[in-house]
Amino acid sequence: MSYRLFYKKALSRKVGLVGIAVIIIAIVLATMLFPQQSQPKVKSSVVYAYVSDFPTLDPSIAFEDEQVILANVYETLVFYNSSNPSSPLVPWLATSWSYSPDGLVWTFSLRKGVIFHDGTPFNAEAVKFSIERTKRMGLGAAYIWDPVKEIQVVDDYTVKFILQYPAPLAQIASSQYGAWIFSPKIPSNDTDATEWFNQGKDAGTGAFTIESYEAGFQIVLKKFDKYWKGWNGNHIEKVLIKTVRDPTARLQAIKAGEADFTVDLPVDYLPELKNNPNVKVLAIPSYRNLLGMINTKRSPTDNVLVRQALAYAFPYDAVVKSVMQNYAVQSVGPIPQGMLGYFEDMEHYNYNLTKAKELLAKAGYPNGGFTIILTYTSGDQLEKQVAELYKAELEKLNINLDIREMTTKAKYSMARGDPAQAQHILLFYWWPTYVTPYDFLYSLFHSEEKVIFNFAYYYNSTYDDLIDTASKLEGTDLNKALELYRKAQEQVIRDCTALFIIDMDTIMVINSKVHNFKPNSAYTEVVFFYDIWVEA
Amino acid sequence: MASFKSYLVKRIILALIVLYFVVTITFILSHVVPSDPAELYVGPKATKEQRERAVIELGLDKPLYIQYLNYIFGLFKGDLGVSLRAHTPVLHDILAYLPATLEIVIIANIIALFVGILFGTFSALKKDHLEDHLIRFVSVGGVSIPSFWFALLMQLIFFGVLGILPLDGRVSTETQLFNPIKVITGFYTLDALLNLNFPAFIDCLRHLILPAFVLATYPIGLVTRMVRSMMVEVLNENYIRFAKANGFKENLIYYKYALRNALTPALMALGLSFAYSITGAFLVEVIFSWPGLGTYTVNAILENDYPSILGVTIVGTTFYVGVNLLLDIFQAYIDPRVRLK
Repeated sequence: MSYRLFYKKALSRKVGLVGIAVIIIAIVLATMLFPQQSQPKVKSSVVYAYVSDFPTLDPSIAFEDEQVILANVYETLVFYNSSNPSSPLVPWLATSWSYSPDGLVWTFSLRKGVIFHDGTPFNAEAVKFSIERTKRMGLGAAYIWDPVKEIQVVDDYTVKFILQYPAPLAQIASSQYGAWIFSPKIPSNDTDATEWFNQGKDAGTGAFTIESYEAGFQIVLKKFDKYWKGWNGNHIEKVLIKTVRDPTARLQAIKAGEADFTVDLPVDYLPELKNNPNVKVLAIPSYRNLLGMINTKRSPTDNVLVRQALAYAFPYDAVVKSVMQNYAVQSVGPIPQGMLGYFEDMEHYNYNLTKAKELLAKAGYPNGGFTIILTYTSGDQLEKQVAELYKAELEKLNINLDIREMTTKAKYSMARGDPAQAQHILLFYWWPTYVTPYDFLYSLFHSEEKVIFNFAYYYNSTYDDLIDTASKLEGTDLNKALELYRKAQEQVIRDCTALFIIDMDTIMVINSKVHNFKPNSAYTEVVFFYDIWVEA
Repeated sequence: MASFKSYLVKRIILALIVLYFVVTITFILSHVVPSDPAELYVGPKATKEQRERAVIELGLDKPLYIQYLNYIFGLFKGDLGVSLRAHTPVLHDILAYLPATLEIVIIANIIALFVGILFGTFSALKKDHLEDHLIRFVSVGGVSIPSFWFALLMQLIFFGVLGILPLDGRVSTETQLFNPIKVITGFYTLDALLNLNFPAFIDCLRHLILPAFVLATYPIGLVTRMVRSMMVEVLNENYIRFAKANGFKENLIYYKYALRNALTPALMALGLSFAYSITGAFLVEVIFSWPGLGTYTVNAILENDYPSILGVTIVGTTFYVGVNLLLDIFQAYIDPRVRLK
């Protein structure tokens, strides 16, 4: 080997050694100088494995589960804080509001210094524009604005609503459907705007803005830097909401830490998860209940005594304990637990076969001997189990329960036909569009020209008057309204127009490192990502 | 060339007639099935006024034949109606979902083309040897294995046991959150390259492997079998024997003179299987949570969203008829015997 070659090799080896040493020192220094960068205490992103997809992102139309996204991207004038039922309405985009004594004129003062994600300032014009678009399109939950005759812009930060009949407008403005406020700078043609929204664009004021959207599969939200509440303290910066339809896949995702939030897991999975220190199982009252509407126009359930007997024969406890594993409570009446208009102390039916027998004897059926047709939605395991438990109880009274599994469409078209040919009992769920007892009491039992949801075919003008009056008072004299709502509920419980079965919980499973998560029954399955932070 | 032109005209007219009948039959079927499109359009809790307005907006108050004529006229303007659930133009939705499907289908068919030709030729050259038997076994398996079962099996092996490939989706959560692909064409692999985002490109490729391979099994079997049988036939032809006798190189004979003749029918078959996969890939798409046209169709059917169902049917049929037409023309062009029949 020549000297020069040797020298070259040695040199290159030296350079190599020095290079490696420099790199090592640099790494050590870097880790010493920026320790927080390599070990962040707070996670910057979360994943929510959701059960279904989102049909639309248009805030005027959304009426299924879109609030899971929209509540983080948009805001409403008023926020409904379900954890404080005595005074649930708190400012959001509006800072205060007032109404005229007759409840026909509502004035909202708006928050200053709020801007939309597109840079437009939030003001009274934007409020007028948003609600008028929703009303004009007439889709989704647009009907909640039905009482509104006119919206007047008083000045930049004051907006006035003129109503055609009294209504609780502050509650309406807190609705999770159809009350979102958006920028007037969206495409001016309504259908073009819908298409624009569905491409994953948004125009809200919320803490997050949509970064990317893959319809039917996933959506990524990122923080909006100029959000009016600011970003001091610990916050999340990015959110991935993905649709995972298969419950086993959702279970796997939450167990493996791939998801930080998930919802709607079958109750059988929960005992296992409760012992898992990495996750928390939360049961949140849902404002959703399961009822069995009873046909009051077909023999033998046209007899109130028979209906009451059927209500006494229902195994409420068995459903709560064995089917729901206590993730539900027995209903008292049409209004679910924790909601405005719920009264725990109202008289109601409990499981009591002796009483059921007495009532049957009084009604002229001492030995039972008739058939009751019950329909439930095909594929609904809960309704199926409930129906089967009920069948076993009715057999003891020698009543045959004819259980029929039907698609939603078939079930409804049977119920909307001739009542004398319709099912005796129709199982279904109800939940409010915005938080008001009127939603339940009107849709389920108010007289109707053409049957929509009053599957009891209950026509009682005293009852109609009670709830109509209550609804008009709700905005101005809540206590009086609640008194009337109570009377109305006692009336339908007495007349036994439905089996009030259970008030359900929303079951959410979350990563135990998530802090400050405040579930809110008024915003179904929503995680307000601005509030939370997650330990790394 | 006159006969070629008239053949062309005949085939195009025939294709249009087929399309017309498919549209008509699907339209009638979707309108005689009992359903309430207005209710679906306005949602379950709508008021009476909303329902009535929807009936007018959707044109449901008009007699069926008027609705039908409106639909047909709309088609000429490229209007496939509005989705009942999402309230967006159906054509727009379809175009949004189409690239995801095309991406796996195209890759699957490219795989099938190469693997199929290779297997087919090799098998024919080794006729009745062990290699031939093995390949025939694999190709029969390829055309007869149910794709959804094979998809689950592949997930079990490559995700569950070996853990080397992702379970489903088009990109990983990390890419989606921290290294997102800016969508340009809708083909994620292509978009990632256009963005010069190579980690995302690799991520997309990793997600593509399983669904593309599962989708390729059927066309692989198909092409292999076609190429093999044609090759066997061609290799017995006089001109091949003559070439051999003249001392031409074997590889030249096989790949230049024999394979060319054997290839056309295989390409025809592959073309049809490609067109079919546009909507026929839904089982594979659902298992791999692949946001393609198949998934869109399944959702539309489950929701009874009939404008979407009609739209997908029309697009699918157009694709199938169009590809079929192109293949026929291509074949007639290179093989005069076809157009003289």
